[in-house]
Amino acid sequence: MPRLKDEAIQDKLTRKAVVLEHCLRRRKKEKRKKTKGFSAKQRREMRLFEVKPEQQKYELFLPLHELWKQYIRDLCNGLRPDTQPQMIQTKLLKADLHGAIVTVTKSKCPSYVGITGIILQEMKHIFKIITKEDKLKVIPKLNNVFSLELDGFISHIYGSKFQLRASERSAKKFKAKGTIDL
Amino acid sequence: MSAQVKDKEAFQRLSFLYQAAHCVLAQNPENQELARFYCHMQRSISRRLVLRQDPSVKRTICKFCSSLLVPGISSTVRQRRCSGRRWSVIRCLCCGQTKRFPSNPAYKLWAEQPEALLENQPQTGERRQVPRRSPQHIRPKPPL
Repeated sequence: MPRLKDEAIQDKLTRKAVVLEHCLRRRKKEKRKKTKGFSAKQRREMRLFEVKPEQQKYELFLPLHELWKQYIRDLCNGLRPDTQPQMIQTKLLKADLHGAIVTVTKSKCPSYVGITGIILQEMKHIFKIITKEDKLKVIPKLNNVFSLELDGFISHIYGSKFQLRASERSAKKFKAKGTIDL
Repeated sequence: MSAQVKDKEAFQRLSFLYQAAHCVLAQNPENQELARFYCHMQRSISRRLVLRQDPSVKRTICKFCSSLLVPGISSTVRQRRCSGRRWSVIRCLCCGQTKRFPSNPAYKLWAEQPEALLENQPQTGERRQVPRRSPQHIRPKPPL
């Protein structure tokens, strides 16, 4: 069609019956999408953390931390000094970090160093942490080293390698590659 | 006949997330966002790894907005009559989605039936009295 001259195109159009599209098609497509979850609107309006939690105190999240400790002890079968660190590393990679007390040890930005708190939410690139002063801090994972402490066992988490959604992390296999340097 | 190792860790994580959501709601009944976040995480993990969950767990999580349904705080429960039978209608207060369950005390979920347990599954080769699906119950067709 685009190669023919204008006259030839006009000629063809006048003789050929061109069927225009129905408008009904678009309605059906919209109806299908409504059934399970409106993704974009839903998350922005309802899901995210509101300002109210800043009024929530740090003490309210301590039972969550206790629950997390029990969960991790259960996951590693409790034998702390006995088992190899390899096993624990692999288990920690797949484990959930909500409710853990972490500290930022090394960071490219010096103002992040030394922040301690309980992890409330874990997103793709950030952690949301509540500190003892009831402040909600948003800390990016990139170029940061977090340290996790439990029963005398300290493990470091290199945030740059952890840039995954928490749900994807339990599905992914980690390979040892690349230098770990800030 | 135990479950595979990777699945076990994933299931532990799922149950931890569920308990954490309950814990957070118990501490502060007004803040439902965190509980919703944890339930959403739980659903996405089970979707990613294709893990089945017990219906009793699925019934307390809203399918639409994935918030934790606690009757009285985040959901309302009513008994209604429709087409001659009694239904329990659970309505999520956050998104307005309803769930309907017929109240029939004689109905057993698949998970509760004795066939579903692994121990009751007959081992192949030893016993021939296998329920329904084994090929031995199918009589060979007479040649036409």
